[in-house]
Amino acid sequence: MGMGVFLLVLVTVFIWGNLWFHFVESILGFVRRILTRHKKPTVWHTFPENEETEDD
Amino acid sequence: MGLFSKLFKEPEIDLEKSNANARKMRALFNHVVEDGDNYRLIFGYTEDVSRFNYGFVHGSKTKIGNLIVGWNEADLSIAVVPTVPDLSGCGDPIYYRRSGIQKAYRNKYPTDAFIIYPDKNGYIAINAYDWLDDEKLYVYVSQKEELAAFTDFFINRFATR
Repeated sequence: MGMGVFLLVLVTVFIWGNLWFHFVESILGFVRRILTRHKKPTVWHTFPENEETEDD
Repeated sequence: MGLFSKLFKEPEIDLEKSNANARKMRALFNHVVEDGDNYRLIFGYTEDVSRFNYGFVHGSKTKIGNLIVGWNEADLSIAVVPTVPDLSGCGDPIYYRRSGIQKAYRNKYPTDAFIIYPDKNGYIAINAYDWLDDEKLYVYVSQKEELAAFTDFFINRFATR
C-alpha cells in the first residue's frame, strides 16, 4: 500500500513537471515569436530534385 | 556464434542508405556553393547546450544543428552549409578562409571538435564522427576516409596553432 502511494506520488510529480515545462516553454516561445516577428527569415533552399543522381 | 555475440552485435552500417545520403549532400552543397565540386565533403554538426530553471523544474536543453562541411585544399577554405537530418533542404553557405579567420584549432576536451573563430565576436564548433546511428538527429552517412582527410587538412593546413 505504502509503496503504491509512493509510486503514485512519483508519477504525479513526473506528469506535473512535464506539463509545467511545456507550459513555460510555450509562453517563452510565444514571447520570442512576438519579439522576432520583424526579423528577416533565414534563406532556405529545398532539395533540387532535378539534380538527384540517376541511381536514386 | 554464441547467444551473447548475437545479443550484443554491433550496429551495422547500411551502405546503400549512406551512399544515397552522400550523393544528396553533394547535390545540396553544389546547389548553393559556386564551384562546389572543388570541395570535399563531410557531415558535421553543432551542439548548443543551454540550461533552464523553471521553478521546481530545471535541467538542460541541447539543440543539434546539422552541417554539410566542405573543404577546398587549393585555396585553404571551408564552406559550411546548414541542413536537416533528412537533407530535404539547406541554408546559405558560410565561408571560412584561412587568410581571413582569426584562429582555428582542434579541441579535444570537453568535446572533440573543430573550432573556427572568424572574428573575435563568435566561433563555430564543428563536431564530426565516422558514423552516427540516430537518423532523427543526424545525417546517416558513413565517412571514415573523408573524416580522416578533413582532420588532416584541418590540423596540418587550416589550423592556426
